[in-house]
Amino acid sequence: MTVLIEADGLAVDGLDSIVRPTALRVRAGVPFTILGETGSGKSLLAQAIAGTLPDGLAARGRVRINGRDVLGLSHADKRRHLWGRAIAILPQEPWLALDPTARAASQVWEGFTRILNLPRRAAGAATEQALRSLGLDDAARKLPGQLSGGMAQRVAFVAARAGGAPIVIADEPTKGLDATRRDDAVDLLKTGMGTTGGLLVISHDIAVPKRLGGEVAIMLKGRIIESGPVDQVLSNPRHDYTRRLLAADPAAWPEQPTAPVGDRLIEVEGLAKSRGGRTLFRDLSFTLHRGEIIGVVGPSGCGKSSLGDLLLGVIAPDGGTIRRNSSWPALRFQKVWQDPPAAFAPQLTLRTALGDLVRRHGLAWDRVPPLMDRLGLSTALLDRPPGGISGGELQRFSLLRTLLLDPVFLFADEPTSRLDLITQQEIVGLMRGVARETGCGLLLVSHDHALINRVADRVIAIGPQSDLVSPQLPSSNIASSAAS
Amino acid sequence: MIRLSRGQWAGVALLLLLALFALGVPQVVPGDPTRQSLSNALLPPGGPFLFGTDPFGRDMLLRLAAAVRLSLGIALLTTALAGVIGVALGVLAGACGGWVDRALCGVADTLLALPGLLLVLLLVAIAPGRFWPLYLGVSLVLWVEYFRMTRAAALRIAASPAVEASRLLGFGPFYRFRRHYWPELAPITLTVGAFGSATSVMSVAALGFVNVGVRPPTPELGQMMIELMPYYNEAPLILAQPILVVVLLVLALNLIAGGKTQ
Repeated sequence: MTVLIEADGLAVDGLDSIVRPTALRVRAGVPFTILGETGSGKSLLAQAIAGTLPDGLAARGRVRINGRDVLGLSHADKRRHLWGRAIAILPQEPWLALDPTARAASQVWEGFTRILNLPRRAAGAATEQALRSLGLDDAARKLPGQLSGGMAQRVAFVAARAGGAPIVIADEPTKGLDATRRDDAVDLLKTGMGTTGGLLVISHDIAVPKRLGGEVAIMLKGRIIESGPVDQVLSNPRHDYTRRLLAADPAAWPEQPTAPVGDRLIEVEGLAKSRGGRTLFRDLSFTLHRGEIIGVVGPSGCGKSSLGDLLLGVIAPDGGTIRRNSSWPALRFQKVWQDPPAAFAPQLTLRTALGDLVRRHGLAWDRVPPLMDRLGLSTALLDRPPGGISGGELQRFSLLRTLLLDPVFLFADEPTSRLDLITQQEIVGLMRGVARETGCGLLLVSHDHALINRVADRVIAIGPQSDLVSPQLPSSNIASSAAS
Repeated sequence: MIRLSRGQWAGVALLLLLALFALGVPQVVPGDPTRQSLSNALLPPGGPFLFGTDPFGRDMLLRLAAAVRLSLGIALLTTALAGVIGVALGVLAGACGGWVDRALCGVADTLLALPGLLLVLLLVAIAPGRFWPLYLGVSLVLWVEYFRMTRAAALRIAASPAVEASRLLGFGPFYRFRRHYWPELAPITLTVGAFGSATSVMSVAALGFVNVGVRPPTPELGQMMIELMPYYNEAPLILAQPILVVVLLVLALNLIAGGKTQ
């Protein structure tokens, strides 16, 4: 079998060694996935192979693409000559990578004219054919802003492949996609590879190598700790980290008992909300009790976040009523955000931010250290700004600041979608523990059905759903909300 | 914290030099910048008068120092006044949105549609020879820029989860201004303030040049230029002085404004 990419002793050095000397082989017709959490160095490894390392970082070792040593190429220009011809690089979140002012067809057409040097007319025909082969006939005349996420991804794929490069390097191709679109994206990559092409995928999502097959390498702190055929690595992991990673997949979480129901906390009746002329949901009725966890699922933009904001009273409903148990002040209805750094003032150290909160409500600072202990946070982190700690740590801080106010209701809006799997398991576990112990009602929004299935007592599905096993709300509600 | 670039430090240094000149000269060379002595008219620089004299035999050194004091004073006052008004209204518009935003934007757009100097001329015509119409007029022209810049940033900040979190956690609007808005607005305000000061110096000089605003014999840079203009042939070095000072003042302020602020 032809080896397309061959790396030996490949390392990336910045101020210190970021990627330790690594060897990998990408063979024709066998997809290769590098799996790892944020900061593990997986993207840098791919960039070192592609020759797109950011300034200040340097690669050493040996990289052969199609048998040609590329790291030794003297000029960056010679390296650049490979782009589009030997290797195609598919960017993260393609809907952001496409030129928003150029129509889909012309972005693909550029590849044919500039890289393959086809005459205009031949390039036009080739563009048309390439787009048609992926069912994109309608997209040709559209601007990226008018395309759906899935279509934008296919257009970016066609554009990246227009130069005829047999090897595709895809960095987090499924970032920000829900389960169905994630599978579509993976299938697209696999089909595009064929039997003679090469495919190197960077991902943090176990579902990607599972669907893709081929080979997988697990990366941790700058080194590959384990690699081999997907079946073998995922079914029979040797390294402790791989085992924890697999166990952190929500589908592998242990089943949890349903909680006994406490007092009524929020009663919702006939709730309706629309946005921009589109009905998000209507006739939605349910009751949230203390200590109960209600999951909310649905495709992007379906109004999951709006539902939580309605319950918090941040936005007003278009119809129906929301009755919050009046024995609790509004301050005890709190929220945890999706993107932790965005939910903190960037210039304040966490000590200042928490200190302000403690002073504002006349609390005692003594309550902070035990809570930090419980959430597994070290006190050294207090003197850093929000940007100076990891997303997982910061999300714990956002949980901590709500806990200082003894919440009775917590709205968690995709609290772990930007975190890696192991951190996700820890954070969701903490939230679940808080709900059960303090009797706090939890509204958990997620696009990950497996996670909701494991954690939630009941589920509100907005839009059509199929694979939920948690006890759902009366189906009439779902039907009516789904129909809209 | 605001950190300054090299260019900005150069601007600050130049500005400090000018301020030192303006405040130091009267200490070292006592005298009255308005005292005329026709027998000493149009003396060249050097000799008994370091910077020479104007057609009325007044000491240019003293006059320049007094004029820089006046220009910097007006710039400081108008910039501060315009800054407070502009930032306060900008945050109000950005954070409140709705009709508050629309009303304030309407006012700002109306002011922008008028030529700035016309507004100042109008006010100066109401109370000729006084200082307050000058301050008020220039501030009225300058605050719009603060308003527009601050509003744009405030709109973004107001929509951020951090501000929503702050509200849910029970913090009031003043806390949010101090902790969320101001840290991001401070660099913008500094930049606009430095540009605004430059505009202020230019406006006052332009008004003096057309003999509006500050009345003679109070030394003012623009007025000095127009007084010296007829003598450009006999005393070019004297005429060059107020022009050079305006250039240096505006350059210093633009250097401060133009650099990349962090």
